[in-house]
This record gives sequence, C-alpha cells and structure tokens, in this order.
Amino acid sequence: MCISGKPSTEGCRLIDQKDKPANATANRGVHRLALILCCMTVALLVAGALVTSNEAGDSVPDWPLSFGRWLIRSNNFIANVRYEYSHRFIAGVVGFITLVLAVWTYFGEQRNWMRRLGLIAFGGVVAQAIIGGMRVWFPEYKALIAVPHALVAQSFFAVAVSMVVFTSRSWWSPREIKTDEKGLPLRTLTGMTVLAVLIQLVLGAGFRHQAFGIAPHIAGAVIVAVLIATTVITVVRRHRDDGYLARPAKFAIALLIIQLGLGIAAYLARLASAGDPQPLEPMISLTVAHLVVGALTLAMMVTLMLRSHQVLAPARQTASDAIESRKVQSAPSGSTV
Amino acid sequence: MLKKIGTICTMLMLVTILVAVGCKHSGGGGNSAKPDEGTKPAYASKSDEGTITGKISFDGAAPELKKIDMSQDAYCAGSSGDKTADDLLVADGKLANVFVYIKGGPVDKFSFPTPSDPVVLDQQGCRYHPRVFGIQVNQPFKVTNSDTTTHNIHPSPKTNPEWNKMQAQGAPAIEEKFHRPETLIPVKCNQHPWMKASIGVLAHPYFAVSAKDGTYTIKNVPPGTYTLVFWHETKGEQSQQITIAAKESKTQDVTYKAAATAGATSMQIAPTLLLP
Repeated sequence: MCISGKPSTEGCRLIDQKDKPANATANRGVHRLALILCCMTVALLVAGALVTSNEAGDSVPDWPLSFGRWLIRSNNFIANVRYEYSHRFIAGVVGFITLVLAVWTYFGEQRNWMRRLGLIAFGGVVAQAIIGGMRVWFPEYKALIAVPHALVAQSFFAVAVSMVVFTSRSWWSPREIKTDEKGLPLRTLTGMTVLAVLIQLVLGAGFRHQAFGIAPHIAGAVIVAVLIATTVITVVRRHRDDGYLARPAKFAIALLIIQLGLGIAAYLARLASAGDPQPLEPMISLTVAHLVVGALTLAMMVTLMLRSHQVLAPARQTASDAIESRKVQSAPSGSTV
Repeated sequence: MLKKIGTICTMLMLVTILVAVGCKHSGGGGNSAKPDEGTKPAYASKSDEGTITGKISFDGAAPELKKIDMSQDAYCAGSSGDKTADDLLVADGKLANVFVYIKGGPVDKFSFPTPSDPVVLDQQGCRYHPRVFGIQVNQPFKVTNSDTTTHNIHPSPKTNPEWNKMQAQGAPAIEEKFHRPETLIPVKCNQHPWMKASIGVLAHPYFAVSAKDGTYTIKNVPPGTYTLVFWHETKGEQSQQITIAAKESKTQDVTYKAAATAGATSMQIAPTLLLP
C-alpha cells in the first residue's frame, strides 16, 4: 500500500519508465508547441484586454476581413485599430498553432483522451473566432457577446495549460501515489477553485464590458480568495514536502496577493479616470495586468488540480487500488495515466 | 471544516452569478419602443404658436478642461483646433450643449412634417461638429469626413437599429435615418475614443441646443402645457412644466449645479442592466 510520506516502491509508481510512449521525441515536440501555444494565448489575452481597455472593440467594423482585406494597409494601422487588428492577427496565429497542435496530437499521441483534448482545443479556438466575429457583426449585443467571449478565452487557456501539463516531463516522471487525507479531498477542492477562478474571470469581463456592476466581481474575489487560501493551506498541511503539489500552490497564493492589489488599483484608477475624455494610463495598464495575472492564477490552479488528480487517491481508496484501476482504464491506449 | 468552507464558497459563487444575471434581466434601463407617429393626425397650424427661450446657468466653478491625447494618430495630433474635452463647456457661468425639448401636450397628439434637409455631422480635426444636436424621426442624417484620416461612426441607440460604418478620407457622405424617437443616442468613433457626440431624435421639431452663452430658443410651439426637458451629457436631466398660451413668448431659465452627475455609469456598485 502506498502512503503519503513513505518511500516509494515499484508498486507505488503511477507513471513508470516502461509506460513512456515509444515516440517520446514526438511528445517533447508536442510539449514545446503546447508551451508556445500557452505563451501566444497569454499574448492574445493581453491584446484582447488592450482592445477592451482602449474601447477599440468596434474600431474595425467588418469581420472576418479588416477594412475589406486580410492584411490592412499601413495607413489604416492607426489609433485604436492597432489594438483591434493586432488582436485579430494574434488570434489567427493562435488558431494556426492550435490546428498544428491538434493534428500533431491526433497522429502522434497514444493517449486517446489527449487526442480528444487537441480536438477540443481546436474546436474552442474556432468557436472563439465565431463569437468574436459575432461581437463585430452585432454591436448592439456587444456586452452580451463579450461575456461568453471571455469565458471561452479563459477556458481555452485552461485547455492549453492542461496540454502543457500532460505532455511535460514532470507528468511522465515516476510519482508516488498518495492517499488523500480524510476531509475535503484536495482533488475536489482544486476543482472547485478552478471553477470559481474561471467564473470570477468571467464576472470581471462582465464588469469591464458593462454587462454587470462591480458587486458580483467583488463578491467573486472574496470567494476566490477564500478558496485559493483554503487550497494552499490544505496543500501545505498535507503535502508540504512534495514540491510537485506545493510549488503551484505557492505560486497561486503569490499571484492571488498580486491580483488583489492589482484589482483594487485598477478599480481606483478606473474611478479616477471616469471623467477623462478617453481611456488613459494608468487605468489601461493596471486593467491589462489584472486580467493577465488572473489568467496566470487560473493556470496555476489548473496545474495543481491536474497534479492532484494524478498523484492523489481518494481517502476511501488505497493508493495501490488506484494504480490498478488507472492502469486498467488506460490499457487500450498503451500508456498509463 | 474544509468541506463546509468549500461547499459554502461554491454556493456563494453560484448565488453571485444568479444575482448578477437576475438583476440584469429585472433591472430598468432603456427606452421601450414607441409607436410610429404615422397614425396621428397631422398638425394644422393656427398661426398662434409661441416661443420658449431661456438661459442655462452653471452654479459652481467652471471645471478645468481636460486635455485630449491625440498622439495615437499623427494626423489628429497635428491637426489644428481645440485639443481639450468638450463634454462640459462653461463660459461666464453659462452652460453650452444642453439639449432642450418639449414632451407631452399637443406635440404628442399630432404628427409633424419631416424636413427633407439633412442634419450634417462633420468630422473635422478628429472631433465631431456639432457635439450635441437634434434631428426629427426619418429626417436625413448625413455624416461627412473633412479629415485626412479614417474614422468610424458608431451610434449606440437603444430603440433604433445600431450601426457602425467606416469612413475613409475623401469617402462620400454616409446617409442614414433614425426611425424612432430616442433621447439621446450616443455616437462614438471607436478608432479615436475621445470623439463623442449625442443625437436627440424626436417626432416633432420643438427642440434646441444651448449655445456657448447658454441661451436656447424653441420657436413655433403650439399652445399647450408641456414638460420642458433639459438634458446634458455629464450633468444629467432636469424637467419643468411650462404652459404656452397663444402667441406667447415665455422665458424659462434653468441652473445646473456643479455637483450634479448624469447618474448611472458602469462604475456603480450595484448590479445593473446595461445590456440592450
């Protein structure tokens, strides 16, 4: 039986060297591409936040073309068009990378669910493009459309982060399966926290796009702060010595502290700039930073959630049972996760 | 303990969403669609119309005009003309760009002929000229671009259809119409976010916009009792009852206090309906 804190044995290894796929080289390539996708998605989130903060969402009235062209003329690349067109251009790059990643995963991966995840990512980026296009076509529903646009954006980012985690070297390294302590399982807690962070990011988008007031976002911030703090305390109490779980938890709490500061600063800057004739600094930068740190917090919590599901067995199940059941489940695909 | 905290947090999060969505749907906001004016009898003049005039004062220190940063577009930055915000223009204690109109009384019972002359909104020096103006329902609305840069014209009405059109330098005028009364429609250039205007669309011709000296005049008002409405972009709306006798000229002054605001904005704390 595998118990947390005890030295690992052969039976306690969830992923052994023999479970590595034969085409491990291809997986390293997929991992790098997924990493690039993540970075580009962050860039896309920044571009999207700049569009919203600069009120540039309708500066290019047509879609999918921009002023009737795929590549706009340089004399059109001025003022707010720079933000909107850059957002569209980066979105195109992200879409292309996602397509390559989905194809590569489909033909290069042995894990069937990873193949499906690649297809889900591509479906997500296509859906996001369509929602973005609807935002341009139906400006009267901009607030209504902007909220699902933000939801799909952050969900896509979570999927991209998941692909990085699933293809990482650390995911494949031998790991000791631990039995989670009684009480609220960390697997459940991290899942709830990821969901709460995602909802909170959407509430933030709703506020920025004037679909909601600030109250839901403030209430969400309190709830998310409590959940992240609870998750981190749980990790520290139960798995302090396991860097595989403790590291993302520590990053998450650091990001939460930064995020709360940025949120307050961004709101105060927005209040102070209410009478300005146009969006100005520091409101723009603070809002963009707030969005990006929020996305990074989501990435940390997703990582922690996935790792928790990988190395923790429910308290009612012994670690050995968990290993056996997972090996049986993953047997047809040829790899054990 | 942890399980309880987790459950409570999840419940609170769901309640937060429900409150946000619920308030959004149950809140006020927006003008409801008004019936077309075509079914009303045409107004027949008895040559006994009166006039409403007045001055709009501003009680308080004139605000410092905020500078507009046009550096995003070299043409705009280099263009001649004022580069300060014009949403609150106060001169010698008088307030400009207040949209004044009447509602109720005889003007709601009759239809009025639609002028064929277009109302022109020009883009010059990366500013809208005029900033605030009125137009009748179905009256031609023409947008011209005197600048050598591209603009987009984007009115955001609540009861009329929304549109967003690009207008490059030298492009022909954009011609549109508003088919329903609506006060007031914000207009914006999304490429140059400081460019803003407001359009009051009415079913009758009895409206005016206060000049730089705060004066306004509404001519040829049919005798009757009305609500005289004063609307300012940042200082909000005021209204007064007014009765115009046959051939009467009446003066109706109004004062805006410096502390007044236009009311709901996206910054308010409570959840609100801001969706169409």
